[in-house]
Amino acid sequence: MATKEKEQELIKRLQDAIINYKVADAKKIAEEAVAAGADAYTVTMEGLAGGMEVVSEKFDSHEYFVPETLLCAKALYAALDVLKPHIKLQAGGVARGQVVLGVMQGDVHDLGKNIIKAIFEASGWTVHDLGRDVPLKRFVEEQLKTDSDIVMLSAMMTTSMVGIKKLIPMIKEKNPKVKIMIGGAPITEKTVEEYGADITADNAPNALKEAMKMLETLRKGKAA
Amino acid sequence: MAQDEMNGLQRVAAALTFGKPDRVPGAPLVCGASHRFSGLSYGEWSQCTDVDAMVQGHVDALDFIGHDGVVMLVDLTVEAHAFGCEVKFPEMNTAHPNYDDPFLKSYKDYKKIQRIDPRKTQRMKGVIELTAGLSKQIGGTHAIVGFVYGSIGVLSMMRGPEAFFMDLLEHPAEVMEAVEVVDEVLIEYAKAQLEAGAHAICYDHLYASQSILSKELWEKVEGNSVKRVTDVVHKAGALVAFHNCGNGIYFDMSEKWGKPHAISHAYVADDVDSWEEHKAKWGGKIGTIGWIPPGPVAMLGTPEEIEEECKAEIEIFAPGAGFVLSTGCEFPPNAPLRNAKRIVEAAKKYGVYK
Repeated sequence: MATKEKEQELIKRLQDAIINYKVADAKKIAEEAVAAGADAYTVTMEGLAGGMEVVSEKFDSHEYFVPETLLCAKALYAALDVLKPHIKLQAGGVARGQVVLGVMQGDVHDLGKNIIKAIFEASGWTVHDLGRDVPLKRFVEEQLKTDSDIVMLSAMMTTSMVGIKKLIPMIKEKNPKVKIMIGGAPITEKTVEEYGADITADNAPNALKEAMKMLETLRKGKAA
Repeated sequence: MAQDEMNGLQRVAAALTFGKPDRVPGAPLVCGASHRFSGLSYGEWSQCTDVDAMVQGHVDALDFIGHDGVVMLVDLTVEAHAFGCEVKFPEMNTAHPNYDDPFLKSYKDYKKIQRIDPRKTQRMKGVIELTAGLSKQIGGTHAIVGFVYGSIGVLSMMRGPEAFFMDLLEHPAEVMEAVEVVDEVLIEYAKAQLEAGAHAICYDHLYASQSILSKELWEKVEGNSVKRVTDVVHKAGALVAFHNCGNGIYFDMSEKWGKPHAISHAYVADDVDSWEEHKAKWGGKIGTIGWIPPGPVAMLGTPEEIEEECKAEIEIFAPGAGFVLSTGCEFPPNAPLRNAKRIVEAAKKYGVYK
């Protein structure tokens, strides 16, 4: 069992490794944390999620761009792979939400989707990533199977965007409460309105903020 | 509606050289959408195997829509394909590399990129022939804009964008070696399109925006490529345009490295906050080809919304010329073609210079 001081030191070093996209360092520190008996959940949430939160801010303020963010995500996954098998949700802890995520059928542009995945996973969400060029019915099946709170659909072309219009009623028919977030180059507020989605976000950090709000609404609804 | 006094070529040339066009040119980027006039599926069109049908497709699209110029974009895989990248051609969708089995599987593979002759290679040859065919038919009356996807764009197709962007930071030397080879080919490609009758070359520097790369990194990896290709175009006396549909475009870098006559764009430059500010800062130096949103307006817009958008853009950008009314990115290949026609009609209705 690591002392509180040791745990905090590891968390700080892990944050730095993520923020400075030091992939090998991130893995090494995660291994050190496990060996020292630090709580994997705390290290993940404070070290990895804390680091990615800074990365998100840097991305938002145009200090970091796509290459830097991708490398931060690479460092994140290097550490997460080590920590994940040791994570146990703490008693009384509240799990973040679950999302089904994928790129629409006919579309192979998955860069934005992958950044979203990293940021959501770092924040403790469970992400069911269906990949790219995903047939419509796969989204419906995966939402039902996992009972995910949100379905996130990405389209970078108008030719793939049109599938969203068809897909949303398919998802809502099976589960009217599920929230739908859509994103990608051709998507605007108008598309949200016209296709019956719940929301769009113009980048990954904003997607996370919106998802948190939707999750809160959903949970309040369940509690009521 | 006033009678046109110039043809499309004269109008576009006058607009982009800040001369005196009779009206704002209307030229939505009707590229892949022209397949619908050609008798070819989108997949067949993209493969460039029937160039005669493609020429006729563009000519018939011009007849129907009435735009002032055409761009020789087929899709963004043309160059990468010619270098050996496997490309998938969906029947009714845009061609794309096989990202499940990328041509460049590791950063070590950049070395395998060999110089090719665009005049003899696959679809690059097809685009050159398309340019020549169109030049014969409409070269005296309409602007023909050649198209070159920039060096790092081409490499990202071969490697897969995600791995490529990480390579830029982790293995820059290997990437830059490949950039050098691709540049040489793109220079020849631009020359060949000009020789075939293109009046201008549009270089797509997609990653020169806040959407993707920092300004410093973009300049380091592609600034010189832009200069090398555009120097050739300037030297030939042709017009230079860029295309970039990213957010927060680096107009200052574009000016520094390519001295373009115009940029085809969907969003404002990174150093301004509104279209009005953009016009004030850049409108007298670099022309704007744009910026009708392709999805929400060109594809989903009602006739009234399209007209309103065009009118608003003309009001901001028409004064002093340097403006071509267009979509901010390719006119959606699956959008109603009458919407492209509405854009041109709006240019005629609201864009006449007194």
